[in-house]
Amino acid sequence: MWTQLCQLLFPINTLGANWNKPPTIDSLTAKPPLTAQVSLPSSVQRLDDSAITEVRVDMADMKVESRPVTLVTNVGSCVAICIHDPINKCGGLAHIMLPSSKITQHSYLPSKYADTAVPALTSAIRRAEKSNCGLTAKIAGGANMFPKLNSSTLNIGMKNVEAVKEALANKGIKLVAEDVRGTYGRRVAFNIADGSVCVKNGNGEIKKI
Amino acid sequence: MTQTINESEYPKRIQDTNNGENQLDIEILIELGNIGAGKATTALSEVVNEKIQVEVPRLHISPPHLVPKIFEKHDDIMAVIYMQLRGEADCDILLLFEVEEAKKIAAMMAMVPLEELDPETETSAIEELGNIMIGGFLSAIADFTDTNMVPRPPQLVKGSFDAVLDTFLVKQALTSEVALVFDGSFRRSSSEAKGIIVVFPSVELQKILINKSREWLT
Repeated sequence: MWTQLCQLLFPINTLGANWNKPPTIDSLTAKPPLTAQVSLPSSVQRLDDSAITEVRVDMADMKVESRPVTLVTNVGSCVAICIHDPINKCGGLAHIMLPSSKITQHSYLPSKYADTAVPALTSAIRRAEKSNCGLTAKIAGGANMFPKLNSSTLNIGMKNVEAVKEALANKGIKLVAEDVRGTYGRRVAFNIADGSVCVKNGNGEIKKI
Repeated sequence: MTQTINESEYPKRIQDTNNGENQLDIEILIELGNIGAGKATTALSEVVNEKIQVEVPRLHISPPHLVPKIFEKHDDIMAVIYMQLRGEADCDILLLFEVEEAKKIAAMMAMVPLEELDPETETSAIEELGNIMIGGFLSAIADFTDTNMVPRPPQLVKGSFDAVLDTFLVKQALTSEVALVFDGSFRRSSSEAKGIIVVFPSVELQKILINKSREWLT
């Protein structure tokens, strides 16, 4: 019992581990843990947060929100996966870069790869509400920006789209809309409140999916 | 437990790659970029007949997905001229202008007023500008290092900054955890809009350039 108390008071092991560990790239760039507070839909909180309207999602990043904000990202051959929970009005956006985490042995960013981003995103949304039913997905991106240069490495967008669809099917999430392929970049704006996705392409045309 | 071990291995790998290119190599690459950017902006200056102000070029070594944060131009719509190096060593070179700025320069090159510029002339003028500037960039480096550097024909794409850049960052991410990015920005003295040259040299090209330059130094 005494040792247990000691461990409780002085968690030396964990401290030591943290102390010895050099700062990783992940820890330097890591976002605070994903917390979607769906259980507190108080109007006061929503009023406070109403100043924030757009939240930018960076490359190989993922964000889950329950506030009625718009998640924004820019994709070329990357793919933006928007998963929405229409019942609880929350959702998340992941900006994936590569189709498979098997490309590298060191995959530290789950949101960088299609096959790991979908489980990470669903579990983050589910953590908020503890149910997987009724999740819908919309995807955008996967363009081939330079079609004249017929290089296999540059046409990774197609592989990305296929990998995302496979990952979504594995998780049993319904893909309701998509705006993929093409030869132009897209600005994706995912509205958490109603689950709509506005896709603006390089020519300034806006498409709602 | 295994996860923590892996995490501590990860930065080591990155440090290894950083130490591999020691300080002298990095300085060589910056200097080569500097020479190239100088030649490219001189070419632009001759084309538009105006003084060009050049910023000190930078070389970034960072994970590919963090590169867009360096530029902080996420949603800006840019006109981008892309050229790829032809030959054994792969290299992507991008020339980025704000759309309005590109239009102005194209009008100057075509010697027509800005309102009378039709899209086809604009595209071909901007692609030609890419040829002139990137050609100057490469020929300066090729002369200095005595290598053969010939690019493929240019291609013009318009899109938001992040969307255009991500194709190349994905390409970098496929091959390594760390991307080496050279960027040099410049602007016409009568304009506020910046143009940027971004170069993604492949590892082979870096080695070739460094070895050739070291021959000079010794």
